[in-house]
Formats: sequence, structure tokens, C-alpha cells
Amino acid sequence: MNKKSFILLALILILCGLAPSQTGTKKKRPLPYEYGRVIIDNYSSKAELAPVVFEHWIHRSKFTCRVCHVDVGFAMKAGATNITSADNERGFYCGTCHNGKTVVDGKVVFQACSRKTAGDDLRRCERCHSFGLKVASEYDFFHFSQPLPKERFGNGLDWEKSEELGLIKPARVLEGVSPRGNSLAVQKDFVLNPKVEGMPDIIFSHKKHTVWNGCELCHPDIFMGVKRGTTKYTMVDISQGKACGACHTTVAFPLTDCQRCHTKPV
Amino acid sequence: MFFARFFPPKFTANVVAVMLLVGLTAPCGVRAVGLPQSSASQADQAKEAWQKEFDAVRSKTQDAMTFSEDELTELIRRCDALLPQIEKLDESRRKVYLGRLAKCRGLYAYVLEAKKNEKK
Repeated sequence: MNKKSFILLALILILCGLAPSQTGTKKKRPLPYEYGRVIIDNYSSKAELAPVVFEHWIHRSKFTCRVCHVDVGFAMKAGATNITSADNERGFYCGTCHNGKTVVDGKVVFQACSRKTAGDDLRRCERCHSFGLKVASEYDFFHFSQPLPKERFGNGLDWEKSEELGLIKPARVLEGVSPRGNSLAVQKDFVLNPKVEGMPDIIFSHKKHTVWNGCELCHPDIFMGVKRGTTKYTMVDISQGKACGACHTTVAFPLTDCQRCHTKPV
Repeated sequence: MFFARFFPPKFTANVVAVMLLVGLTAPCGVRAVGLPQSSASQADQAKEAWQKEFDAVRSKTQDAMTFSEDELTELIRRCDALLPQIEKLDESRRKVYLGRLAKCRGLYAYVLEAKKNEKK
């Protein structure tokens, strides 16, 4: 093979290699029980532990978003809270409830992290530090989801309707952590006009969002603009996790479920 | 007993009684003369003061929309006054409470700006 042929062959091989990376590969859609799952590995691997697997569906069935993301203080991006085992031991973040004392649904919530080690401790650690391990969970998604109204995407569940029907009762307050204040005044729903012609308007349920999130979860961190319409965002922005996408690409029903936002009849 | 060999039993009993009395009253005496309290109890008292204020400021977030501009400005000032006290806390508490304070202050500032914009 002469030098020119070799260079040509090398170029073709490089271009062939680049082509898929330019067009991207299709992202695997998570299964219903995987949707909302967060893998946390700020310090676990360094401590020779498996990364933490956090299942949103278990927690959101018991608490509103506000309790964890405002009152307890978890960041809205995976890993951004920088939780340490010391934080948990001192009763913050996961340790707020996972302290071996708090009772939820008649069950004592297991302790998240502790310096004292006993023979059974590795199994307890593995209840959270379970990424890549075969750990049987106490909670079975299929059993849990059976009585709940179904939806097409995300967890495959209609969480809003589940609450309306009283099938789940997410707590709005965590004793000793949530501030004692008045309950939030009902906020009016409003219409958002999409830029694409023919696309149905969005009826934004401010009421539902404030009941679950409070005010400070969205304002001003996610929606900075004060006047309606001043925060400009496109579907591309949303799909990249901005604005509505902060939750509706990760935990709340996903963007593929167009008709759940674009609801106003044309 | 060692004492009983050299002293009469009545004297031994008196010595034991006095020693017991001194032993029991000594801690009260130390407390009464006003030796400094432990740093832990001082920290507890200090914590209570800032935490009460913190809880009071944070408990008003649900009503943020109903406050006047002056009230919101005052709430922001109270948030800012809490900042140096929270900065002094240990790492975990500092991280947690700074996050909570930022959310609370951010909301008051946001609503205040909204109210100012409404006037324009």
C-alpha cells in the first residue's frame, strides 16, 4: 500500500468513526420503574462504596417536592447537593428522615449513615449504595403502581390523579424541618401561548405546582422573570433541562407527553 | 479498715461522713462560684437565638405575595443579618442553612421586584 492510499484509507476510517458521533445515538427511554432514578457518586466510589441509587417514585409518593427540595434542601440537579456521610449522620439531607427513628407509614425509616458499625451494617449501606449490585428492594414498583391510575410515559402513572383519588398522600410538612407558616393562597392557572402555529395553548396549572412545590422551588432559580412572558424559553431549552425541563425531563411526566401541557382546544 | 487500726470507731465514722459531705457539695460549690459554662451549652443558647429568627423569617415565604414593598425589604434585611451567624456554623449546618436561607431570600427579592415592576 503506497503512502497516498494509506492516508485516504485513514481519512475514510476517521470519517466513518465521526459520523455516528455527529448524528448522536438514540437515548434509551427509561423503563417506568427507572424514570426519575438518580445515581449519586460524589464520594461513594472514593470511599470504595457503590454509588447511591435514589428512587424518586418511592419518595414522591410520600412527600411533596417542596419538603425535600426546599425544606430539607436537596438541589435540583443530581450530585449538586454534595451530600456527605457526615451530613447524613448529623441529621441533614437523607439523614433528616433516614435516622433510625422517624416513622413513615408505620415503619421506622432505616438509618442512612453511621460511624458505629455492626455486623449487619454492610447490608444497611447497600440499601442506598447499590449501583451495579443486585440488592433486593423492600419496595416493588409493580406492586406499588398496580392500584394507581395509569399514564403513557415517565413512570407510567398519573401522580396528580393518584393524589386526587386519595391513593397517595404526599406529606406537605416535615415536623421540625418545615417552617410553620400559613398555607399557601391558591394561585390562578394561566395560559401560555406557544410560538408554533396550530399548536394548542398550554394551560399552566399554577395551583397544582404551588401545592407540590411552594413558591421558592421555582422562583427565582428556575423561572427568573417576574412578569409573565419575560422568561423566554423554547422546547429545545426545555429538553436541555431549562425552565419546565428542570422537572419534566427527569421526574415529572416527560416532554413526549405533549397533550398534558398543550391542553387548550384549538 | 486501715483507719480503724489507729483511730477510735466514732472518729473514723465522722471522717467518712465529712469526706462524703465534701464530695457531694463540691460540684455545687464549683457551679456556685461561677466557673464558665461549657462551650457546648453556650453554643446551644446561641443556636437558639439565630434559629428562632431563621424560623420566623422562613415561615413567611407562603405569604410573600401579600406583603408590601417595605415589609419585603425588611424581610430581606433580616435574611442578610442571619448570614454572618450561619457562616460561623460547622460545615454541614452551614451548607444546609445557607441553602435554605438563599431560597427564602431569593423569593422575597423576586416578589419585591415583581411588585416594583407592577408599578411601572
